[in-house]
Amino acid sequence: MEQAPEPGAIQRPRRLPPALRQFFSREAMTGWLFILPAFIGFVLFYLLPSIRAFSISFTDWNLLRPPRPVGLENYQALVADPNFWHALKVTGLYVLLNIPLQTVLALLLAVLMDRLVRSIFVRAVIILPYLLSNVVVAMIFLWLLHPILGYINVFLGLLGLERQPFFGSPDQALATVAGVNIWRHMGFTALLFYAGLQSIPRSLYEAASIDGASEWRMFWRITLPLLRPVTVFVLVTSVIGSFQIFDTVAVATGGGPTYATRVIVWYIYENAFQFFKMGYASAMSMVLFLILVVFTLLQMRLFRAGHSDLA
Amino acid sequence: MNPVETNPIRVRNRVVYQLTPGRIVAWVLLAVLIFITLFPLWIVIKTAITHPKELFEQATLLFPSDPTLLNFRRALGMVSLEENLAVGGVANINFLTAMRNSVLFTLTIVVSQTFFSAMAAYAFARLRFPGRDLIFFLFLAATMIPGAVLFIPNFILVKNLGWLNTFQGMVAPFVLMTPFAVFFLRQFFLAVPKELEEAAYLDGASPFYVFWRIILPISKTPLVTLAILTTINTWNEFFWPWIVSKDNNMQVLTVALKMFQSQTPQGSPDWTGLMAATFLAIIPVFILLVVLGRQVVESLQFSGLK
Amino acid sequence: MHQVFRRTAIAAVAALAAQAFAQTEITYWLWDSNQQPAYQACANAFQQQNPDIKVNVVQKGWDDYWTGLTTGFVSGTAPDVFTNHLAKYPEFASNGQIVDIAPLIKRDGVKTNIYYPGLYELWGRGGKQYGLPKDWDTIAIVYNKKLLKEAGISEATLRTWTWNPKDGGTFERVIAQLTKDKNGNNGLSKNFDPKNVVQYGFTTNGSGGGYGQTEWSWLAVSNGFKFNDGPWDTKYYYDSPKLAETIQWLADLSLKKGYAVPVTDVTRLGSEALFTSGKVAMLPHGSWMIKWFKDNAKFDVGFALLPAGPNGRKSMFNGLADSIWTGSKKQEQAWKWVKFLGSPACQNIVGSYGVVFPAIKSGVDAALQVYKKNGLDVTAFTTIANTKGATFLFPITDYASEITSIMNAAMDSVFLGKARAADALKEANAKVNAVFKR
Repeated sequence: MEQAPEPGAIQRPRRLPPALRQFFSREAMTGWLFILPAFIGFVLFYLLPSIRAFSISFTDWNLLRPPRPVGLENYQALVADPNFWHALKVTGLYVLLNIPLQTVLALLLAVLMDRLVRSIFVRAVIILPYLLSNVVVAMIFLWLLHPILGYINVFLGLLGLERQPFFGSPDQALATVAGVNIWRHMGFTALLFYAGLQSIPRSLYEAASIDGASEWRMFWRITLPLLRPVTVFVLVTSVIGSFQIFDTVAVATGGGPTYATRVIVWYIYENAFQFFKMGYASAMSMVLFLILVVFTLLQMRLFRAGHSDLA
Repeated sequence: MNPVETNPIRVRNRVVYQLTPGRIVAWVLLAVLIFITLFPLWIVIKTAITHPKELFEQATLLFPSDPTLLNFRRALGMVSLEENLAVGGVANINFLTAMRNSVLFTLTIVVSQTFFSAMAAYAFARLRFPGRDLIFFLFLAATMIPGAVLFIPNFILVKNLGWLNTFQGMVAPFVLMTPFAVFFLRQFFLAVPKELEEAAYLDGASPFYVFWRIILPISKTPLVTLAILTTINTWNEFFWPWIVSKDNNMQVLTVALKMFQSQTPQGSPDWTGLMAATFLAIIPVFILLVVLGRQVVESLQFSGLK
Repeated sequence: MHQVFRRTAIAAVAALAAQAFAQTEITYWLWDSNQQPAYQACANAFQQQNPDIKVNVVQKGWDDYWTGLTTGFVSGTAPDVFTNHLAKYPEFASNGQIVDIAPLIKRDGVKTNIYYPGLYELWGRGGKQYGLPKDWDTIAIVYNKKLLKEAGISEATLRTWTWNPKDGGTFERVIAQLTKDKNGNNGLSKNFDPKNVVQYGFTTNGSGGGYGQTEWSWLAVSNGFKFNDGPWDTKYYYDSPKLAETIQWLADLSLKKGYAVPVTDVTRLGSEALFTSGKVAMLPHGSWMIKWFKDNAKFDVGFALLPAGPNGRKSMFNGLADSIWTGSKKQEQAWKWVKFLGSPACQNIVGSYGVVFPAIKSGVDAALQVYKKNGLDVTAFTTIANTKGATFLFPITDYASEITSIMNAAMDSVFLGKARAADALKEANAKVNAVFKR
């Protein structure tokens, strides 16, 4: 693209120093123009409220009276709050339970669809769970997994197996929440992968096939490497989403039993709207933000290694 | 492309030519995954066709002994309030108004959000300008702060704009972008071969022309995929439209359907009504999905011929 | 001719006047959609008396009610009047979000002795008053008549049952008799297999958190437990041995004896779901659920008085009220509406819908008539409310949400068999009381 002639180059202000010239180059102006609408939306509905949340994190604000500045008090309290650390631990565990399985299953599903059946029907079917809201999904699974009234346990009983409490047991609740979310997001994630698979030229597979490569080998040599941009996207967004798990917990467990599912965003919500500690909730949000920034940078670095997407 | 080469692809749409053990395993896996996906949805249908008085007693049955359409009539507001309350239902909802509002709400957001996000994504993927990567990362970082601490500032902003209880207030946070959409499209635009654009630029085309006539058409699959996902997410959006809309005739479906959910601190939802309404609410999205999905397939076949 | 002209002129002027003095609209929020028709009827009656005020009745489900309300407070868009809850109003009151109506009550000479005793006081603090009572609730044992008959238990037995934390009294015997294992043995049989129960005698709605309103408060208080030393106290007595032995008895009922549904099996689907499925014979529940049980159970449902404990029968007596938001720009109209909501005129209307017990006797009579017409005997709820000394009030203090969060986990651990009640409650009590010391 550097070779592309720029017809407007002549109009570029000439007397500017080179560093500034870059700012006013035609391409830069175009770039800014292209992102302008999105940027306005970003500033109004993401950046400003984030800055506001950041400043609130240095105050004691119960939502009902004006905030009172307290400096770093919320952050100090947070370090000393065992519930906060426990919530972080639970969240981390949840992400570990959720992400690997969900990603692998989705990729498997996408490849199966790509290589076996390209039918719209199958694609429409696998996205069905995603059509239901998180809340409704949690409600369905309350029924399905109910220890006494649920199909799954009735079925286990028919097989002579012991009933499982799922949401009701502190040992199973978190994994159950993860399972429910894998169910809802598997098809959705598969569809993302599937869209990525479509951009891989068919000819590559045909050529490999003629060379006698197995499906397995083609997957590792062609599919996976060429799917990298989509994989980065899937992993980054699902890790961010997974760290913010909330709805399923709110409906199905309420953070229980005995704090087994008190994930960080649930604890933030509790503090903000039940304990009326918005300042504290904002401080925790900032810590979560930092953790996610680190994770995201790591992921992007990892996946970009030796091969820049931005070339 | 000559027919000899296109044939295997077309054939693969329907027929399996060789049943190798690997393929059998693959088919079984696919079938299992589809079954796992579909089975829980049976709860929605089964609950929807069960009479409210029989729901709990027949909880463990796979099929209600006496299926009924009563709940669908209730969800559509086709029974009298008295009749509704007599079976433990809640006040009637205006399903069709809510449906219309949802369609309008979703359509506005999907079209404008996808377009503006695509513009930004193109700039992030292709154009060079100072601060590009930083701004892109900021966009992404915006999704990392929990909504619980963001919506109050947003609400106050919309209130100060005088947009409470208006359509523009309801769509405002969504119409210009979501980080998800920008990120998604950027990743796809990165994968588009550069040669196409370079040729156009050499011919003296403007960046907008390249974006509009080259990038968008060849990105039909990701665009439609994104539009589908945005449609679903917008259709399911509850909290913001709920908190911004006051009048009943402004309610979108999710807000109206909330009626069926827990009304009291220690109460139980109107399960049968809720599931019937849920079922009705996903029908339009499902139809759209199949229609758009067909589009994707056609566009694939089209680009395959190029 | 002139007559006619004058009449027309007067009518025209009147019409103009009506337009000039446009209606003031006030917004009223409530969360229970079951009660919406009743309050809409109230609003209609109110508007007839006050044509210059229009009441916009808005229902917002419980799940989002408080988030919406808080957002309203912050942004200045909260409703003028709203249904308030005991666990929530202390925070609103101490932060100046709800109007102290004591001066208005005095100014207008509103009678406050017309309510059931105790209800009015629940909504006051230090001479200030934050709402007029609108309804009340008590607890009773809900039972499945069919299962009782099958087990050969007469309903008369339930009228005299007693309970104590040592052997559970006749209450436990009835529960045991209503429990069946897969071989058909009931809980009293020597061969009863507590690992393979197909029908439970009893269930509660989970572990009950910090108040155990339907779950254990009635047992614990009948055993001599008290939450604290009265409204607005800053110290709880969750470490009381009286509470510990009650909770341990209740936990053992499922963990050791197998008579009650394990807490792991109740889940958020709730005890009501299990009861109406016919797999559980009895459960304690509140009067606000009468209509729900009638609508959702296929079998006949009965309501029995709570068993008498060592200190007699005790039920929590709880009530809602309507509060005015301090940010409302229509204070005077809002007060008029609140006054009407708390008056016999509105409460009789609400009573006639048969969904709740209004705070005034005449409204309760109206409700009782409706229940009777529907073939329901709900005197178990009203008898206890009318018996002196048989009720105790919701232990109203600050920090209800934080207390609930701490106690939920502690109670869960006991009912899951992970801790002994005495230990868990002692530890939790220290945490609860520490909340007040911050």
